[in-house]
Amino acid sequence: MLEKWQKEFAVFVPSKASGVSQMEVWDGQDTAFLDRNRNTAVPPKAKFLPGMEKMFGFRKEEGSYVVEPTDGEPPKQLLFGIHPCDARAIGIIDMVFKDAYDDKYYLSRRENTVLVGMACTSPYDSCFCTSLGFGPADATDVDIMLIDIGDALLIEEVTEKGRGILAGAKGVIEATEKDEKEAAAARESANAKVSRKIDTAEISRRLPLVFNDREFWEEVSAKCVSCGICTFLCPTCYCFDINDEMLQDGSGARYRNWDCCSFAIYTRMPAENPREEKWRRVRQKVYHKYLFYPELFNVIACTGCGRCIRQCPVNWDITQTLSKLPAGSPGKAEEKQKAS
Amino acid sequence: MTREIEKKLRDTVRELLEKETIDRIVGYEAGSLKFSTTPLITSNKADVDRLVINPFTHSNLSVFLRDLCGKVGIVAKGCDARSTISLIQDRQIARKDVFIIGAPCDGVIDLAKVEKLIGLDRDEIDDIVWQGEKAAITFAGSTQKFSAKEVLADSCLGCDPSDFKECDMLIGEIEPIVGGKELGQDRIREMEAMAPAQRWEFWKKEFSRCIRCYGCRQVCPACFCDRCFVEETEPRWISPLPKWQDNLIFQVVRMMHVAGRCTNCGECERICPANIPLGSLTKKMEEIVDELFQYRAGTDKDAPPLMAAYQPDELEDLMR
Repeated sequence: MLEKWQKEFAVFVPSKASGVSQMEVWDGQDTAFLDRNRNTAVPPKAKFLPGMEKMFGFRKEEGSYVVEPTDGEPPKQLLFGIHPCDARAIGIIDMVFKDAYDDKYYLSRRENTVLVGMACTSPYDSCFCTSLGFGPADATDVDIMLIDIGDALLIEEVTEKGRGILAGAKGVIEATEKDEKEAAAARESANAKVSRKIDTAEISRRLPLVFNDREFWEEVSAKCVSCGICTFLCPTCYCFDINDEMLQDGSGARYRNWDCCSFAIYTRMPAENPREEKWRRVRQKVYHKYLFYPELFNVIACTGCGRCIRQCPVNWDITQTLSKLPAGSPGKAEEKQKAS
Repeated sequence: MTREIEKKLRDTVRELLEKETIDRIVGYEAGSLKFSTTPLITSNKADVDRLVINPFTHSNLSVFLRDLCGKVGIVAKGCDARSTISLIQDRQIARKDVFIIGAPCDGVIDLAKVEKLIGLDRDEIDDIVWQGEKAAITFAGSTQKFSAKEVLADSCLGCDPSDFKECDMLIGEIEPIVGGKELGQDRIREMEAMAPAQRWEFWKKEFSRCIRCYGCRQVCPACFCDRCFVEETEPRWISPLPKWQDNLIFQVVRMMHVAGRCTNCGECERICPANIPLGSLTKKMEEIVDELFQYRAGTDKDAPPLMAAYQPDELEDLMR
């Protein structure tokens, strides 16, 4: 099936060939990813929002600038083996790129992509997807979903696009009732293995009350080192910076690249930096994901993939911070209302 | 054995806080994942019982010292204690504001090495403990033993315990289970054997994965500049974009800037999410510094920082 797809799309699979686990172009041979049923280190968001993306070129002509748009459509791509947390994350950040304006760079890649999901069978200790309203084998936000039932992969058709790519595929047969039962059991089993939990209802209740609890935020932020690891590996983080690269003759190109709200310079402006202190930035990270994004888009901007917990140099753990939120008091909620 | 040492550490720190010899402590507590620790930064006596000593105390805690006020106690491995001394040399902290507690260290275990040896993720490993000079690793119902050399972090293999010269109190022995100059050098010798064109291709490939998260810079106690050269826009030294050329230059310049300050704690390599072998660069840098200047970072708090001082009779064949 992968070979068939390769004729029409650039097929990406989870691979460690580059030296780090991420989505790489399928080499036509490797099938190790079918057995190793866990997340890649670098999330698939890199395929829609690359770490570095050219927006347009420009050159100087007769005293003014001429813009050279980047050419054509992005290539058609098929991402194979996307886990539900990453798929759902893509659905979450889609909203931002369709919000104030249609971000054509992101959206055109999205339109030209087929997502083939792969259900988790052995979540990490750091996973906590089940607390965020879905599970490790759910078919949200993919075009087709694959579940390993031992001797075969059960295929769940989710979208028209997904149905389309299966048409004429060899070796695809109708699933039996037994197959469906096995898949349901695999789903149950994966769900049960997710041991890390958070209580989003309680978190949503407490966050508005503890915004101004500086002592709490200073304490929980003390060990953060303000790098970009959690952000860059997070499938729901999407902030970007824009930079021009210039040549001496005045020609150049405008790029966007990943930015991180944990960086001290993220909010630095000529007159001031509203988040100079680290505790404000750590607080911002938590609030953006668990309060502000839901206020705007009705969904928590976190899918419990756990990469931030695993990769953080100091093992700063958002689930621990969220479970330690002080109970707060109604008075503080009023302060926040007044301040905003 | 570890329990006794932990108790000794906790009792010591509690007393230091009670007597107000220190205002706060920076140490390690159990992390939220298996085989992990996380920094514990507290002025509260009640938190002291959370302090731990184990083979996973990876972080170089001296990175926090500049931002903490009052007199700070630090639970320091040998390399971390030297980083602390180096910060004192650079006038980033005052000697009187830090109380160095030399923590016993057999060397830290490199989880990535263990995962590779066993072929499992840490989640499937049940236990990793030292048994004499071997690491006993329990998984899938049985225990296998591995030599220390196979599981110790590379930076620990090359540790010279005699470099550790200064502390306020020593809780236990600081000496990796196995170690010695030659042991930590395998990768360097491999690279030196490569032809320059080969070596260039190697680093080009490695730095193509760099995402410019600056994790290496942020965990490094020697990288204390309030304004890093990468943030300079007039002139712009390197591009903020993660192009391999700029990624490589970033790291090379960073190495030059930490020359004489880097104690090879190994954190930059351990935390790199793109698995770039930064330890090879730090190790080689340390060797060059030792060879050219007979200088080891953080061994003499009264010495001027290496690259900030010039002796008239210094080796001048650097300039040709």
